[in-house]
Amino acid sequence: MMRALLAATTAFTLLCVSFASAQNTLPRASDGKPDLTGVWQGGSTQRGSWDEANGGTGVGGTGRNPTAPVVLSSNDRPTGREGAPYQEWAAKKVLESFNRRGIDDPTAQCLPGGLPRSVMLGLFPQQIVQTPTQVIVLYEYMNVFRVIPINAKHPDDLIPAYMGNSVGHWEGDTLVVDVTGFNDKTWLAGTGTFHSDALHIVERYTRIDKDRINYRVTMEDPKVLTKPWTLESSLMLREGTRLEEYICAENNLDPARYEQLLKDGVKITRQ
Amino acid sequence: MRRRIPHVKRLSVGLLLAAVGLLPAPVLAHHSFGAEYDANKPITLTGVLTNIEWTNPHSHFYLDVKDETGKVVNWKFEGYGPGVLYRTGWKKDVTMKPGDTITVFGWRARDGGNWAHSREITLSDGRKMFFGPPAGTGDGGNTPAVEVK
Repeated sequence: MMRALLAATTAFTLLCVSFASAQNTLPRASDGKPDLTGVWQGGSTQRGSWDEANGGTGVGGTGRNPTAPVVLSSNDRPTGREGAPYQEWAAKKVLESFNRRGIDDPTAQCLPGGLPRSVMLGLFPQQIVQTPTQVIVLYEYMNVFRVIPINAKHPDDLIPAYMGNSVGHWEGDTLVVDVTGFNDKTWLAGTGTFHSDALHIVERYTRIDKDRINYRVTMEDPKVLTKPWTLESSLMLREGTRLEEYICAENNLDPARYEQLLKDGVKITRQ
Repeated sequence: MRRRIPHVKRLSVGLLLAAVGLLPAPVLAHHSFGAEYDANKPITLTGVLTNIEWTNPHSHFYLDVKDETGKVVNWKFEGYGPGVLYRTGWKKDVTMKPGDTITVFGWRARDGGNWAHSREITLSDGRKMFFGPPAGTGDGGNTPAVEVK
């Protein structure tokens, strides 16, 4: 009797494990590569739908709460990770921008978020469409996109671009994207983190299960950094979420308002 | 429609700390909250909604609020853009409409005008929904991106 009960319990447990595993199997494309296709939210580690992951306190965060989860945001320096390794002169410029953030932030002027900022933010979703020959990424934030040809070379006649020029290849189950051809008009990750047109970025996208892509990015810019700067973040699958239109210039009141605050002598530096 | 600032001031520190403590993940704001709004000046107002602008990058709404003397003052509030609102359950022209009496919790503008950042709205049917992110969103984090020497 006991043996039968044990067998039944074991069988049930195996069934549960197998069901759970099937629920979270890594999706693969027809060519056998992990399929990154889907709508994703950056800057989060929460599983579930958009509602389930963000419903509790709504989207947004202070960036000033040291007990908050370690999640990257585009305005906040990632907690617990190394600061950006800027050259001395450049570090001063970063701090200056920090105190003029409403004006100096490219996105305050409705310009594209650039990289890796656009990938790591969480207020807006991004959609990846993967084919064997190219990967397309659509970012709701500022309505920008990237076309990433697989196993291609960067063109030799690049026009400096906000989102750079991307080419990808697979290293095992990781999509590696090499990005160059940037202009110098975006921020990397955190308030004031400017860069030059010499910026070179390597991104690594590893879908570790159905819900999550691990994102690792290394930024090199010998004109402003002393060494490469590496950050890690994650993208979480948001099934049922659709991208909306985001036309930032529609009613952008911020820069004029910020200028007026400065003019009026209102104290706006951090407290 | 009573202005409730004095009452709220007592609660404000607690509310702010509660809001900060419950935060999930810092994510992006379009611009710096801290540049325009003062996280040390929480405010709760009840009034009649007069207009809503569902615009990017941020939405705004206007509220007629009676002050201590009974004079009606029109306040302006800022919050998420339409896409973010839609994803968190808001529906244009349905969730709240001009004429509705609502209560708003948020933070005042640094310049002291009748203008604030909205966080939580209590709708006329009693439901509570977020119209904007917590104080400090997009304010540059705990430390600058570089070491301060």
